Amino acid sequence: MKKIKTPAELKKIIASFKVKKDSKPCIVVATGTCGIARGADKVVTALKKELKQHGLASKIDIKITGCHGFCEIEPHLTVLPAEIFYVSLQLADVKEIVSKTVMKKKTIERLLYTNPETNRKVIKEEDIPFYRKQTRNILANNALIDPQNIEDYFGINGYSSLSKVLTAMTEEEVIEKVKQSGLRGRGGAGFPTGFKWSFCRKAKGNTKYIVCNADEGDPGAYMDRGLLEGNPHRILEGMIIGAYAIGANEGFVYIRDEYPIAVKTIKNAIKQARQYGLLDKNILGSNFDFDIKIVRGAGAFVCGEETALIASIEGKKGEPRQRPPFPAQKGLWKKPTNINNVETWANIPLIISKGAKWYSKIGTEKSKGTKIFSLVGKINNTGLVEVPMGLTLKDMIYGIGGGIPDGKSFKGVQTGGPSGGCLPKELLDTPIDYERLKEAGSIIGSGGMVIMDEDTCMVDVARYFLEFLQDESCGKCLSCREGIKRMAEIVTDITKGQGKEGDIELLEELAHVVKDTSMCGLGQTAANPVLSTIKYFRDEYETHIRDRKCPAGVCRDLYISPCQNACPMGMNVPGYISLIGEGRFQEALSLALDTNPFPSICGRVCDHQCQSKCRRNQIDESVAIRTLKRVIGDYEENHIEYPEIKIPKEKMPFKVAIIGAGPAGLSCAYFLARLGYEPTVFEALPVAGGMLAVAIPEYRLPKHILQREIDNIKKLGVEIKLNTRVGKDITFSQLWSQGYEAFFVAVGMYGDRRLGIPGENLENVFQAVDLLRDINLDKPIASPVGKKVVVIGGGNSAVDAARTMLRMGSSKVTLIYRRTRREMPAYEEEIEAAEYEGVEIQYLTTPEKIFGEQGKVKSIECIKMKQGEFDKEGRRRPVPIKNSNFFLDVDIVIPAIGEFSDVTELFTGLDVETNADGTIKCDKNGRASIPGVFSGGDVASGPSTVIKAVAAGEHATVAIDQYLTKDRTRKYPWREHKKVDTFFDPEAEPVKYSMQKPKTLSAYDRKGNFKEVEMCYTKSRAMKEAKRCLRCDLEIELQEKMEQEKRAKEAA
Amino acid sequence: MIEMTIDGLDVQVEEGSSILDVAQFYGIPVPTLCHHDGLTDYGACRLCIVEIGKGDNTKLVSSCTYPAELGLFVRTNSKRVVEARKVLVELLLAMCPSSKTIQDLAAAMEVTKVRFKVEQGDCVLCGLCVRMCAEQMDAKAIGFVNRGKDRKITTPFDIKSDVCRTCGACIYICPACELRCQGPGPPGDVCGSCANVLPVCLEDEDDKMCFLGTCGWCYKELGRKKNKEKE
Repeated sequence: MKKIKTPAELKKIIASFKVKKDSKPCIVVATGTCGIARGADKVVTALKKELKQHGLASKIDIKITGCHGFCEIEPHLTVLPAEIFYVSLQLADVKEIVSKTVMKKKTIERLLYTNPETNRKVIKEEDIPFYRKQTRNILANNALIDPQNIEDYFGINGYSSLSKVLTAMTEEEVIEKVKQSGLRGRGGAGFPTGFKWSFCRKAKGNTKYIVCNADEGDPGAYMDRGLLEGNPHRILEGMIIGAYAIGANEGFVYIRDEYPIAVKTIKNAIKQARQYGLLDKNILGSNFDFDIKIVRGAGAFVCGEETALIASIEGKKGEPRQRPPFPAQKGLWKKPTNINNVETWANIPLIISKGAKWYSKIGTEKSKGTKIFSLVGKINNTGLVEVPMGLTLKDMIYGIGGGIPDGKSFKGVQTGGPSGGCLPKELLDTPIDYERLKEAGSIIGSGGMVIMDEDTCMVDVARYFLEFLQDESCGKCLSCREGIKRMAEIVTDITKGQGKEGDIELLEELAHVVKDTSMCGLGQTAANPVLSTIKYFRDEYETHIRDRKCPAGVCRDLYISPCQNACPMGMNVPGYISLIGEGRFQEALSLALDTNPFPSICGRVCDHQCQSKCRRNQIDESVAIRTLKRVIGDYEENHIEYPEIKIPKEKMPFKVAIIGAGPAGLSCAYFLARLGYEPTVFEALPVAGGMLAVAIPEYRLPKHILQREIDNIKKLGVEIKLNTRVGKDITFSQLWSQGYEAFFVAVGMYGDRRLGIPGENLENVFQAVDLLRDINLDKPIASPVGKKVVVIGGGNSAVDAARTMLRMGSSKVTLIYRRTRREMPAYEEEIEAAEYEGVEIQYLTTPEKIFGEQGKVKSIECIKMKQGEFDKEGRRRPVPIKNSNFFLDVDIVIPAIGEFSDVTELFTGLDVETNADGTIKCDKNGRASIPGVFSGGDVASGPSTVIKAVAAGEHATVAIDQYLTKDRTRKYPWREHKKVDTFFDPEAEPVKYSMQKPKTLSAYDRKGNFKEVEMCYTKSRAMKEAKRCLRCDLEIELQEKMEQEKRAKEAA
Repeated sequence: MIEMTIDGLDVQVEEGSSILDVAQFYGIPVPTLCHHDGLTDYGACRLCIVEIGKGDNTKLVSSCTYPAELGLFVRTNSKRVVEARKVLVELLLAMCPSSKTIQDLAAAMEVTKVRFKVEQGDCVLCGLCVRMCAEQMDAKAIGFVNRGKDRKITTPFDIKSDVCRTCGACIYICPACELRCQGPGPPGDVCGSCANVLPVCLEDEDDKMCFLGTCGWCYKELGRKKNKEKE
């Protein structure tokens, strides 16, 4: 190997190594640390062996590159020159690839990447949407070069920027160019790089140093590693240019020793650069000398701080010191020193070769260029992402990241590592640049981006980062060392259920002091995780402290089992399930009735949040909790007697009025009765049950089941007055004068939202809720027999209306919904059933106008939609496609786009505050703005579920009781956890078998009738299903027991 | 000479002096703990923080390590400074409640309670002993070990040092392991009131060994007696 002595020689070398696309066939495998972790190195070995076996070893090259960015699909390989890209490889696939693709030039469909949006296969790597949506100025080269091979870097014009600088530019011109580009430090603080350089250049002294800060230690961040492992020469080239501009002759790469592959790669790169004469004396004949040494960091996070890093290179304890003097004046060994991050250095060759103007066009006004982020956590596409500054968080998370896995909802994003903050859903519109993220209470930092979903507890997140920081603070400043320790102490107490009132305020006060008084960047930003989580997720802290509950089910000391924690009513799920498992249905029913008066109803129509948190899911499938509840609820069929509910003999001397006999009102009545009250329920309709009675069709919830559960509540001494509309038939003041002292308003939402399109008032346009109510009350309706029906909407009532119409004899039912199936709010099983029964669903369609003939509906004009921008929920906004209008012939139109509430008539003469959407303003326990008035259910919360209504009724019961008795110490029997004496063997390994699906009626049997579709489990099937429960409720108990036994053994 | 402003006072100071030097020269009281005139400044206790800058663009820095600069605008007793110092003293108290030096600092800042879990430590990691040993005794027998919450001061490898001459200078200068405030309150009780009141213990109770001057208990007792008299 000859040293390159002149720029002309370099030009020749570059030309000789230019990558030729149609050259020798080649297989590219990415083996960054991430790839190796997923077995990429084994793929390479297998590939080599396989090629050798076929005698192809000399004919086909294998190129080993660093990480390309899309870590989720590793290990992957590209077969060149055809550019076929195979993903998520298994070792066994290698054989097939060689025999089919390499030898026969056939593509293996199965191994190609599937675009999740279109479900189509993608052949080329660059066509994968994850890459397409990025601007990969820096990272794209990782796929082209073997980092161990300087020739590959020459092949992509490597070191030509250096040559340009050394031959055609003065030092000042280089600095000026960097200044003009607007490049800012990528390490986190975002100081303009050009200015930093000029300070160092102007500093007095002949000996100057430059340093590359590769001490990347943020949890979840690995951008620098990706560059060091994938393209080390680019960093070196940047450093040499920087050294030239600043006037330094010695440089250091400070790299953490936990990156062994990166250390090896950069070491090798330096060696090769020296061999080619690109380092050391007289570089390219320019009389400029520069050499680079590697210093390996011993793993202290604080050594990423520049003054601590300097101390560490000098061989001292890695502790920051006060600035000024800044390193540009007094740095390494008191000489002027310039420190930049890996990514900053990697940007330099690009600015030189493409120009400052080109560079400054990318990004926002104050933040220029592209930035690499590591997108990790609860996100579909994990990997390294390079985007222009200014991209919004939602485009990053939903667009490039592909959203949250398993259909869960987004909760927060942690940017900038431990020094950054957590931003909530509301801030997803924030553009990613230095200033905007800082305003929001976070930072870009080095570029870590941890996505968190609904299963993440934000208090626990704060605890995690505080624990990390209290270990990683250098410990010099009192404020940082003790402050973080104390914050961690308080937050840990909160996660253990030992939080106190005032803890949040104390945390805030302490956090501000730590931020204000610490010396270095670590301490000054250490409070960010706490401050930002308190700022945006304060209610979660409050729930932990006041209710001793962890809504996400993470803080183990605060919940009994995940299912029980997920249930709004906190039903003892493992308890009744285990009783079912032993065939003790009677006891199971008693236990279920303890916290829920409607086991039969919830067994049919509950949205079963419990099931989505079931841990059995990690083994095979979650336990069918809802269906099991139905088994005990259908006691008559299963020969179980309705247990006697204990009510106190002594009655409470207060009269309580409940307005609305829906699930919230009735459950409030149920719990009040159990406290010894005799409440009166006023209902406007001729039947009790509210939405359960008039909105849910018979085939989902048979009338007699509902009636039976209501009758059981009546038996407890609850009076239900039907056909009495409060506000019209009787007023609040009349009730007051009759001696009622507390009022629970749970009237639900009964107004239909209008479509707001022409033709809405034509005959045969029926609002879904009105129509379903009339059908349920057996009122006469326009016969749909043989008619064509269009239902508009995507919620449960839209699907209910569609299925009902089909049962009543419609010839064709079309449901139109403006978004896609993925976003449809109706329950998945309901949509499936509707499709199975023959409802045609047109997605991405919205009505424009309804046409009539002689006042009757004739046809409906619709327009097709396409998916536009993401909203904060991660749903893509539907945008109309121009000229895509089409007409549907129709006889009946049923809009079902939601309900609203109107309580003005109800509260005549009473000034109760309402929210903008017409719902009643009240606190978590249902207290409305006037003492004595309580509210719950849909009218307070907006459209919600049965179990949430039951919970609202229960909360209001406690609030009413406390209001009337003024006794805050009373214990409510149903709120205590009841242990069950069922047998469970913790040693036994769970046997894998999936969920027992309940039988359903065939499509044929459903036609023309309202027979219940889903059938109840048989006794044996129910017991078999119940046995699948893993008994998470015993976890803590068993752990304690085992520890006790262990201790006893040790003692013996 | 450099011109700067400290607490509204336009002053001229020597180049190379710290803000703390300036304050002390002009008689402005700034509390310190890890500062000692004979030792290099370290900036660990943060008590000497002052607010520098004007308008919205201000920040807190430790005055002992921050050099006096031309045109610097310093406030040693702004609201932000005082409030932060109080929390810092509270943190110190929680570590080492029996140290008289710390109790005195707390008293001067009117800190009367600790909201954190109180530990009975005997080191606040101010580093005075480490610097004393290295700079004045030229021994370098002790130093900081570990980082974060595990940080401590010890000899290399935790074994008896060959270079230690057991001169005792480290103990002499320590603000935490000095003789304890021995009031009758439970250990760790924060009296926070060693203000300049007369020692009453000796008058009332013979066996109180109150040779450390006034302690907070005295102050409390005094207050209680006064209240009784009033009643």
